[in-house]
Amino acid sequence: MVERVLEIGGYAAGYCGRLFARAGADVVRIQMDSVGPAWASDEAMSAFLHGGKRLLSTADGQLIAELANAADILIVEAQTANALSAMDFDGFSTPVKLAMTPFGRTGPKCNWNASGNVMLAMGGYTHLMGDPDRAPLSLPGHYLEFQTAALGYTAINACRMAGQHKVIDLGMFETLLALSQFTSVRWQCAGEQRERHGSDFWYVVPSNLFVCADGWVYLNIVPSFWDPLTVFLERPELLLDSRFLTNDLRMENREALHAIVGEILAPLSKAEIFARAQACRIPLGVVQSFAEVLDDPHLQARSFFAHSNARDVQPWRIPENPYCINGERRTVGLGPSTSEQVPLWRA
Amino acid sequence: MAGVNGPLNGIKILDLTHVWAGPLGVRFLADLGAEVVKVEAPYGRGPQQFPSTPIGGWIGKADPEEPWNRNALFTKLHRNRQSFCVDLKQADGRNAFLELVRVADVVIENFSATAMRSMGLGYDALALANPQIIYVSMPGFGATGPYSERVAFGPVVEPMSGLTNMLGYGPDEPRNSALAIMDPVAAVHSAAAVVEALRQCQITGAGAYVELSLHEGGVTYSGPWLLDHQMGHTPVCMGNRHPNMAPHGIYPCLGQDQWLALACVDQMQWRALCGLIPGLAQESDLQQRQKAADDIDRKIRAWTQNQSKAQASELLQASGIAAGPVNGAADLFADTQAQFRNFFVPYEQFDTPMPGNPIHMAGLASHQWTQCPDLGANNHDVLSQWLGYGDAQISALEDAGVLFNRPPD
Repeated sequence: MVERVLEIGGYAAGYCGRLFARAGADVVRIQMDSVGPAWASDEAMSAFLHGGKRLLSTADGQLIAELANAADILIVEAQTANALSAMDFDGFSTPVKLAMTPFGRTGPKCNWNASGNVMLAMGGYTHLMGDPDRAPLSLPGHYLEFQTAALGYTAINACRMAGQHKVIDLGMFETLLALSQFTSVRWQCAGEQRERHGSDFWYVVPSNLFVCADGWVYLNIVPSFWDPLTVFLERPELLLDSRFLTNDLRMENREALHAIVGEILAPLSKAEIFARAQACRIPLGVVQSFAEVLDDPHLQARSFFAHSNARDVQPWRIPENPYCINGERRTVGLGPSTSEQVPLWRA
Repeated sequence: MAGVNGPLNGIKILDLTHVWAGPLGVRFLADLGAEVVKVEAPYGRGPQQFPSTPIGGWIGKADPEEPWNRNALFTKLHRNRQSFCVDLKQADGRNAFLELVRVADVVIENFSATAMRSMGLGYDALALANPQIIYVSMPGFGATGPYSERVAFGPVVEPMSGLTNMLGYGPDEPRNSALAIMDPVAAVHSAAAVVEALRQCQITGAGAYVELSLHEGGVTYSGPWLLDHQMGHTPVCMGNRHPNMAPHGIYPCLGQDQWLALACVDQMQWRALCGLIPGLAQESDLQQRQKAADDIDRKIRAWTQNQSKAQASELLQASGIAAGPVNGAADLFADTQAQFRNFFVPYEQFDTPMPGNPIHMAGLASHQWTQCPDLGANNHDVLSQWLGYGDAQISALEDAGVLFNRPPD
């Protein structure tokens, strides 16, 4: 039986619903007047998030309650714990209910006002991004909301699989805390606070962004790739250079090494560097423009983009899920339909 | 030997992941009650002697006696698991592993695209042993396509996702997050994919091959920008500003490297900000504020730089404005919200607090969590309880050098 999913809220709710739509669920999204400012146009956000869903514009509390009580799964994203309660979230009888809020449903900050940059700052990300002698950088985009949503999707499906009726409380702040790399243990166990170092990963050298003839490339040379890096750079004598014999020494002499790498890469094109990296098997990525990402031959070969012709214009390429099951991309194809096209469910 | 209480009770996972993305994804599944056996190579946690202190330090004292068991970063990622340390390159080790596959529900690994196949343990081999197995493979660029054999780590995948066009101080000053941010994207989607595939298996009775690409996780998250680009308005890097909010930024506070994040999400918050900070024009709409952003930012800076980040945050929040401190590691542990919700949990050795589970629901309890096991600590239990091996069989494998409980000399 196709599961009924009711989705209410902003971009976290939208992404969680997107995952369900691609898994074949019948997703009805309640369209709100405002779901907060996005990092892209409304049209782009809608095409990305709402393909394959049915959209219903209503503020009718009775209708929403009726839908929620008839749904198998309720996904709600609210700006605060109080805002969630005001929606009568606790009154709905949906078997599995997910509440996504900035700080969770309890605690002294559960009603704090939030935005993406505030959450990323409080969750420890912003402190680590950007140059040491300048303001830290906030991560652009909807990472925070999408990550929370994917965790919510996991929890909901776990409950559905077990046949359990549950209310899930998921705070975006804690999502960020849970996704820290080594910030927390480095502080607790090494007694050192992790700091920001521009694009430099810092703990393995060289790991940085380097300018080249037509853009930028990123090298991430963990110690096991030091030898092939010297081949890549066509500087085998670096293997014997006493300044660079170990990663610790390369950390001590990072500026000298960066200068050597920078000088070698500067006249080369991204394509030349990328090809040479492949030949030498070193970890290297090139900074791609949005056009280059869309035309990337690897993504095309993997049929990563779905094609939507929902607006009768040139087909948009919409990124699919980063996973596929049995080779299936779980494409939903067309953009969102409206509630008029299909009757809504009832309990 | 069952997992902690949770909706995934009864699900058996063989975890062959390493580094960050894989172990983090499995940690979420273990926290939800799955029974997880970490299948580890003899050198999976490094050699007997470490050349230097690991990046996250040691659990407990410096210079520990068994350093491979005290790596704090590894420990953080491996609660609620059993450790089974086996040499899969030996026939007996491979056979024991395949027997475990027969009774498992999920196998998950994040090696290169060809590693498991080269050991004769690719999906086809595992599905032969157990047609219902969910096999999750997480190579950096996926298992197919022209980049599939490229070496991929989070930081090198990031610039190929589109994110670098937006992250930086401006269009000519791009930055890498230097946080390997594609790893946690892959981590949460690996957990999502596992439960999705398990549910599918519950309905169809068939196993599944799940393939997940670190690279595609990043591109997915750039989706709205990629669509905007196709629609004719290519987004550009704005530093800490936002295309649909103003002000939106990071502002200096009292003290060295102390900062505050602030955003006016709507007109109401802007008006509230005007009530706090002198010289701001209350009637300005978003477009006007975006045009005057330099001047507005200057006035906000003049206000924030005379206050602590905590004090400024409280004042702004009291007026209904989205604002909060830029927290470093020490601040995270001191945060009253994290403390109230008991987010950091001191279950690990020496009561070391570790990041908890953001998923809260009735029936999940962190007091049940078990510490990261020592290497090979559960070799005997896994073979006897999952496969019914007797002591003699297990001893034979130990004597043959197939099982390990410390890295080889």
